[in-house]
Amino acid sequence: MEEILIEVKGLKKGYKKRKTKEWVQAVNDVNFTVKRGEILGLLGPNGAGKTTTIKMICGLIVPDEGEVVINGITMQKNRLKGLEHISAVLEGNRNLYWRLTARENLEYFAGNRGNSRKEKASEIEELLHEFKLKQKENELVSNLSRGMQQKLALAVALLADSDVILLDEPTLGLDIETGYEVRQLLKKISEAGKTIIISTHDMPVVQDLCERTVIINDGKVIADEKVEELMNLFETSAYVLTLGNELTEQQQKELDVKFPMNELLDGMKLTITLEQDNDIYDLMDLLKKENTIIEKIDRTTINFEEVFMNLIQEEKNHAIHSIN
Amino acid sequence: MPFIQLIKANTRMEFIEMKRYLPNTLSMIATIYIIFLGMLLGINVIGDPAQAEANIQHVIVNYIFWYLTLVTLTNIGFTITMEATRGTLEQLYMSPLGMWKILLSRLIGYMALHGVIVVGLLYLSMATANQWLYLKPDLTLTILLITLVGIVGVGFMIAGASVIFKQIQAFMQILQFILAALAFVPLSVAPILILAPFVKGVDMIRHVMIQGYSWTDFTAMDYTALIVNSVVYLFIGIFFYLKCEKIAMSRGLLGNY
Repeated sequence: MEEILIEVKGLKKGYKKRKTKEWVQAVNDVNFTVKRGEILGLLGPNGAGKTTTIKMICGLIVPDEGEVVINGITMQKNRLKGLEHISAVLEGNRNLYWRLTARENLEYFAGNRGNSRKEKASEIEELLHEFKLKQKENELVSNLSRGMQQKLALAVALLADSDVILLDEPTLGLDIETGYEVRQLLKKISEAGKTIIISTHDMPVVQDLCERTVIINDGKVIADEKVEELMNLFETSAYVLTLGNELTEQQQKELDVKFPMNELLDGMKLTITLEQDNDIYDLMDLLKKENTIIEKIDRTTINFEEVFMNLIQEEKNHAIHSIN
Repeated sequence: MPFIQLIKANTRMEFIEMKRYLPNTLSMIATIYIIFLGMLLGINVIGDPAQAEANIQHVIVNYIFWYLTLVTLTNIGFTITMEATRGTLEQLYMSPLGMWKILLSRLIGYMALHGVIVVGLLYLSMATANQWLYLKPDLTLTILLITLVGIVGVGFMIAGASVIFKQIQAFMQILQFILAALAFVPLSVAPILILAPFVKGVDMIRHVMIQGYSWTDFTAMDYTALIVNSVVYLFIGIFFYLKCEKIAMSRGLLGNY
């Protein structure tokens, strides 16, 4: 049986807004578990409650209700003991001392966990090589690129030798190349058996790395599924048809009624999402009726970003129905 | 031992920053020395010539203590504010050793480094004024270390307030005058100040350095008052800090600036 390393049980946190004094329920009864060695993606739109949840897991914010258990230790009862099992990158490059060099940062944070420079020397050396920071080890952090700073922040978290690593937006603000490099590093870290929770907006990170995802909206969990299963759940048939001539007005009207998820680009490129594969025949009939020429049909696949948007949209629609 | 490593790491960090920003460190020392010269000038120009020697000796001891308490206490408040601005404060709170131990090790490191500067300033002041005080390292150091325990306690109180309010610069400006008052007013003038932090310690050190007191010249009551004062301030400081930390965590204020 796979061992559960993190249990998040009924977390609730509310606060008063500073200016308006309005009460906001930032996190409302959030529950999920994470198995040892699992990579969990924590997703949600801005202000959904992801960061508050992550900070409650770290023990940096005390929940109003509920608890977090890590490796059998309840964070709310024995926070410092629990912290032996966690390290985190909460604010990316802002988590570092910019007036110290890359190496000095690694040594300082190792010392802050009670380790001597001597006992961590070989590990620091390895990390500097692995994260391609060796040549910049004596550069002040303020002189490093954002990507390098992000990699250094990850290296600092890894140096803690903890079972769990919490990452809040690890690829935020990185260019495509560095973002890819950081993803590869995260892959390596996960292969080393670490349990990782990633809070992110970066969908390729989720699709690429995470086995499971918890989606939070308005402080509540709206989905807790394996990434693959979510993709299957929202698997739809999307086609791009290149037309030889323009659609008639009547065809366009019928199309909108029968296949509402359609988009016509330049009058000749029709992108259409079908709910069932058999619908393609109805579409053909509709086009054939007015002798529309079809030059090419391409099938497109859904990506995780669309899955995410669909889920959030469904949740919004559900909320509107409930109000009505 | 993890706590020893913590002290080493934080002392090293303070040293690196001090060395890396040497012009800043030197200008701070120069400013403090200029203030001393100003005091010296004041005594020579407007003071009673018959009392000049005694006044200068008092000023040297008081000013050295004022410097030590000022840099230590403003540093701890400034550190918390800076860490919150930088974004490193929450990262420090992720240490399984506990933030209060990190702060304590920062204070120890900072005081140790500035202790060296204090010795330098002391000799420089004595040479400038041509007034040579009794140093008696064993007794002076013992009283100083016990007094510093109380200063650390006050440091924790400032740290606690900083964790919640972050912007306490205005208070820090007022604090330097309070510290000057505590360091400069003799206990014989205001005996109630025995309840204030570090006043008893400064008073005893004045007796050693100016009047040449030895271990046996102080009563058991003197030592008891010194130790009790320091220990009480240390405990109140840590207790206050931990309370503030709890409030900050329950209101989610650690990451705020």
